[in-house]
Amino acid sequence: MKYIRYLVFTIKSAFFDFSRSKGRTFLTSLGILIGVMAVVLLMVLGLGLKRYIEQQFESLGSNLMYVMPGSKATITRGGGIVGGIKFDDKDVRTIEKVKSITYIAPGYAKAGSTVEANGKTEIVEIVGSSEQIVPMFNLEVEYGRLMEKKDVQKGGKVIMLSTTVVEKLFDSAEESVGKNVTMENQNFKIIGVIKSKGGGGLGGGGLDDHAYIPFKATYSFNPDKKFYAIYFKAENKDAIPQIKEDVQRLLERRYDKDDFSVLEQKEIMETISSIFSIINTVLVAIAAISLVVGGIGIMNIMYVTVTERIREIGIRRALGAKKSDILAQFLTESVILSLIGGILGLTVSYVIVFFLQSLFPAYIDAQSIILALGVSSAIGIIFGVFPAKKAADLTPMDAIRYE
Amino acid sequence: MIKLQGVWKEYQIDREITFTALKDITLTIEKGEFIGVVGPSGCGKSTLMYVMGLLDQPTKGSIHVDEKNVTGLGDDKISALRNAFFGFVFQQFNLINKLTVLENILLPSVYASVKLSYDPLEKARDLVDKFGLKGKENSYPNKISGGQQQRVAIARALIMHPECILADEPTGNLDSKTGESILDLLSELNREEKITIVVVTHDAHVAERTRRTIKMVDGQIV
Repeated sequence: MKYIRYLVFTIKSAFFDFSRSKGRTFLTSLGILIGVMAVVLLMVLGLGLKRYIEQQFESLGSNLMYVMPGSKATITRGGGIVGGIKFDDKDVRTIEKVKSITYIAPGYAKAGSTVEANGKTEIVEIVGSSEQIVPMFNLEVEYGRLMEKKDVQKGGKVIMLSTTVVEKLFDSAEESVGKNVTMENQNFKIIGVIKSKGGGGLGGGGLDDHAYIPFKATYSFNPDKKFYAIYFKAENKDAIPQIKEDVQRLLERRYDKDDFSVLEQKEIMETISSIFSIINTVLVAIAAISLVVGGIGIMNIMYVTVTERIREIGIRRALGAKKSDILAQFLTESVILSLIGGILGLTVSYVIVFFLQSLFPAYIDAQSIILALGVSSAIGIIFGVFPAKKAADLTPMDAIRYE
Repeated sequence: MIKLQGVWKEYQIDREITFTALKDITLTIEKGEFIGVVGPSGCGKSTLMYVMGLLDQPTKGSIHVDEKNVTGLGDDKISALRNAFFGFVFQQFNLINKLTVLENILLPSVYASVKLSYDPLEKARDLVDKFGLKGKENSYPNKISGGQQQRVAIARALIMHPECILADEPTGNLDSKTGESILDLLSELNREEKITIVVVTHDAHVAERTRRTIKMVDGQIV
């Protein structure tokens, strides 16, 4: 009972002071509000981006494998994908022989290219490949037809675009089939419109901005007829280690082992995830600086509060309050002040995330909530302890006589 | 009951100047006494009360409370003793304005370091009735009269059943009639509940109401 009364008196006294200086309380909490909001939103953004990328990879289907230039060490460090060796058709034919590979396709990619039709332009990533890319990437047709072997053999100027791109260029996706688009100064005929893989909206279209053309059709702007990656699919998950070993062995006959790597999708996903985690940690750490600044604001106000209430401290001490009681009272106040900021920050973040959800999979997880509230309480304690100690260390007589 | 032995209190004003507020005070207060400490302002009578009430440590000398030397005790023990043994009444009432009358009366019990043998809430209500504060329990101190505030302060001093009440100019901020009623109340507490009362005052009339007078000049008892 006594402790409840103690707590009630302390909290009531804190709120009384807050309500007496509402503006000051709000401004002090604002520092924490902004800090918590910055940290929470960046965490949410980081998690959302990671999830978005994972979803994109998952939509490609499982058991996907790649051969890429550069050693695994450089790739997993996030570099080396561009530059280094390029592959050619001979490599595809070599890998094709490996047991348990169901599909294989070359991967020529050119990002930042444009397609034009009806005077409108869209940015796409050209993917020069074979008809086998269709089952490998789980591509599904919406209108028209998918790329076939004959298209690839002829190297015809045909193109598959996603509904997302086509809808921006033509009045209707359905009518676009059979029409021409201009890309790299050449005309390509749309043979099929493929279903959207979703995602996008983050300044790029993700998988939806891929423009699939037969590999031979890239020769005009890819004169050395080489490509940057070879995609292939394992029959099942268990076959992956053996395939990896076989492909590695076969390619080593032609290239130095540091010049290329055989990767499975999981490894690429992990690499990208780890890069995002690092970037995100750095961003959150930067945002955390604003929390420290908010904490200093709390400390400042608590010092003012202590000075304003020296007499009250003296009275409480005269009535038998211990140093620890005074310390607890002022710490409670700074924690409440900081928590108000934390809760408001979380609320504002919720609203922002609600609107962000239409763009990408953003959500506030329990971890962020606990972190936000935990960190703001901790800030209340850390930055409240010095003013509270100052209050506790006053001599009761000096305090009670303070004018 | 309270014994001061060769107590000195000095304040360092700056590096070179020290001010001596109490000079070699030796004083014994017996249980049940009603004492007035008088003297001109600045003579050290309030300092004496604060030192006696363990609100400040003496520079030299010792203080015994109930035969126990309390000089040099740790802050927690001193606070606990102050809480249980003493009740304070001040000229400025010193109520906490953000707590209601009832909460102000209850405040010392919140800081009690031992479990109380009675319900402090019940006791607080009794004191409210007894001191004519009924109906004011949930008022805030700045909404009631000076006399009522001083009654609340006395009720607050009594909530822990103290052995001794130390009052610093308890009538100083009240008109003479209200002041008189406060002195009546203190006399009654001394007479009927055998509470030791020490009143610090510069008012000779107030001192007349006590049973023993200690006169102070320049930090010394004369």
